[in-house]
Amino acid sequence: MRLRKGANLFITLFLCIGAVLSFFPIYLAIINSVKTQGEMFASFTALPTKLHFENYSQAFSKINLLSSTLNSVIVSVIGIGGIIFCAALAGYKLSRTSGRLSAAIFSLFIASMLVPFHSIMIPLTRMAKALHVSGSTYGLAVIYIGLGVNMAIFLYHGFVKSIPRELEEAARIDGCGEFQTFFRIIFPLLLPITVTIAILDFLWIWNDFLLPLLMLTDSTKYTLILSTNTLFGEYNKEWSLILAALVLTALPVIVIYGFFQKFIMQGIAEGAIKG
Amino acid sequence: MPVKRYKSVVSLLAFVAPAFIIYSLFLLIPTIGGMYYSFTDWNGLNRNYSFIGLGNFIEALREDPDFVHALLFTLKYVLFMIVLQNVFALVLAVFIETKTRTKGFFRTIFFMPNMISTIISAFMWTFVFSQVLPQLAEKTAASFLDQLWIGDPSVSFYSIIIVSLWNGVGYMMIIYLAALQGVPQSLKEAAVIDGASPFQTFRKVTMPMITHAVTICFFLTLNGAFKVFEVVYGLTGGGPGRSTQVITMNIYEEAFSNNFRYGYASAKSVILFVIILLFTFIQIGVMKRKEVEA
Repeated sequence: MRLRKGANLFITLFLCIGAVLSFFPIYLAIINSVKTQGEMFASFTALPTKLHFENYSQAFSKINLLSSTLNSVIVSVIGIGGIIFCAALAGYKLSRTSGRLSAAIFSLFIASMLVPFHSIMIPLTRMAKALHVSGSTYGLAVIYIGLGVNMAIFLYHGFVKSIPRELEEAARIDGCGEFQTFFRIIFPLLLPITVTIAILDFLWIWNDFLLPLLMLTDSTKYTLILSTNTLFGEYNKEWSLILAALVLTALPVIVIYGFFQKFIMQGIAEGAIKG
Repeated sequence: MPVKRYKSVVSLLAFVAPAFIIYSLFLLIPTIGGMYYSFTDWNGLNRNYSFIGLGNFIEALREDPDFVHALLFTLKYVLFMIVLQNVFALVLAVFIETKTRTKGFFRTIFFMPNMISTIISAFMWTFVFSQVLPQLAEKTAASFLDQLWIGDPSVSFYSIIIVSLWNGVGYMMIIYLAALQGVPQSLKEAAVIDGASPFQTFRKVTMPMITHAVTICFFLTLNGAFKVFEVVYGLTGGGPGRSTQVITMNIYEEAFSNNFRYGYASAKSVILFVIILLFTFIQIGVMKRKEVEA
């Protein structure tokens, strides 16, 4: 669209100011994380004169970076894998089966998408205790599967409609069983929506705070976000240390974002429009 | 026939079972359980508890000024977020869309904060509000920067809004951008040839074509805003006092840190659920009608 020069200039200016504001807190966190406390309080906005990485080494050990990142990875991988496995099976079959039972089960899944997490967190903690899944990284991952399948089923259910039935029939004639047909023929075809689901769930699980806070008590089991939260409470005024920890926590996601930008944005747009 | 039908039911259940079992345990049963507890005076520990009917609900709405305050505070937050988040996201999306060469750059920058966990964002901004801005105010004599950003409840409401927007606008912007990309270029060109100004083109051609995205973004914002927790938890902790407490924090406190009144806290969470349902249905109802008109 052609715009007049004035309008174009205004838009550029607006976007540039917005971009600066958008990046400002991240910039501040990064530059101040490599300053000493004294240098920091002299000026927060000035660039550091010398790089002090001791904040990082301190933060590195205070938030148990390696083990808490590993915990986050375990929870995300099992959680996402489980959601995809369970939801692909169910979403596919529910989409292909007509009848009252299938419709009822599907509606039940979908209706529960409106239940806010905060409405179930109390009975959920009881349930987790009763099933002995609270306090463990793996248990936490399993809970994410339970909370995440409904959305994924919804997305799979919609996507399956675009896959021709003839493919399954052909596989059936060639002697494939139902599950074999699913895993050999259908599941690979679901890849685009699987990627979308994996991305949406990764952003959710990796960055989630409240569920780990409720479920985990042993600090060796903490996820990355939870470790950083504890640090914030304990070292309230040691800003250089805290900022280093914040940067360490935010960095992995930003790096991943750098690599998968296109897919992430596509995933969000697709998830929203189909959801 | 019956054998075939029986077989198809079995195969359906076989496919659905893994999802359904795990979903029942961690979502369905807790949902039902929460509703059940909300009518009891259970404290989470005792084996014995009694049914008290609507007692919890009446107490929450009539005799609990903290809860009512949290409720109103959340409503105000939801209102601000729905308007501001969508206006900013849409304006950014439309502006970015006009920049063919720098589109990718701006999209990346504006979306980046969304990658950072909400609680981490809140901590980053705590640093900005409590340390950087006061110092900047001192150095530049820009007195409006010198506020009790976190300590004064009337100001910290806006601090909470700022952080929420910083964190959330990018997400909605992506959805709007995707919708804008779906608007056929030829339609816009036709409008321009017919003599429409860019603003008219936007209002008469683009807007009607992206109403579905507006509906989705309103829905997402509404839903997310009612559930706000991390931003407030990280920024003000609900304080000073309970002045910036939101519903979810009030429930959390009631159940886990205050008095372990599980039944009572469950009733509050049922109230939250009902409010979200109500608002969602109203919103979708209104927006759908608009979509049909367009």
